[in-house]
Amino acid sequence: MSLSPFFRSPFTDVTGGMISHQLLGRCQKEEARYMDCLEAYGLERGKVKCAHLFGDYHECSTLTKQLKRFLAIRHERQRQISQGKLTGDEKYVSPRVDSY
Amino acid sequence: MAEAFQVAKKQDLPPPGGYKPIPFKRIPAKSYFSGYTMFAGFIGMTIGSIYLYNITYKRILKDEIEMRSAKMAIYPALLAERDREYLKQLRRNRDAEAELMRDVPGWEVGTYYGERVYKLIPPDQLVEPIFQEYYAHSDIKEWNKRANIKLLS
Repeated sequence: MSLSPFFRSPFTDVTGGMISHQLLGRCQKEEARYMDCLEAYGLERGKVKCAHLFGDYHECSTLTKQLKRFLAIRHERQRQISQGKLTGDEKYVSPRVDSY
Repeated sequence: MAEAFQVAKKQDLPPPGGYKPIPFKRIPAKSYFSGYTMFAGFIGMTIGSIYLYNITYKRILKDEIEMRSAKMAIYPALLAERDREYLKQLRRNRDAEAELMRDVPGWEVGTYYGERVYKLIPPDQLVEPIFQEYYAHSDIKEWNKRANIKLLS
């Protein structure tokens, strides 16, 4: 994983990535912490030392764990419905349409 | 040929007194207004309608201000109502998840098989759910109602 080119020059800056979570994004804090840690340790040592910060940053920006949680819960619910353990009114718990 | 002299002749003669004179002069259309009158009438009607439009416009502005003020006044109350319902639903979701995943091995409520979603925050800090998590226990119809709310309204 490389975040920046080996030699930075105006030629590589022409097509540089200018998007950041710092512009009032959801992951502003996580990205700042991870980038500070990377800046302190560099890329090679940072891969090992900042792994916990990277975990939170990755989860914040891709929301994979929350999605996997949803998939597991839904799978279990469908399994219980098809087995007949959940019937009638207890099958689903639906929120109000304007509450999210 | 001999019959022509015995029957009274009927000839195509001019009427007695002669023909009337043929009218050949142009008959232009009757003009009610002259050009200047038309311009003056147009300007007068424009001035009158501008006056009436401005009266109506002021009334409409007042109505818009009132509507905007009313919307701004009730906005916090509506927002608070929605937030209350959101938090209540989060609690219901948590209870439903606990009830559902009771017999699943390794599952803890709020985690993914024991692994916390965010590891560096205090364990009781609220992690706001994504849309799928919020609607994880819901009927497909309710899901679609909210997911397609822009298409239907």
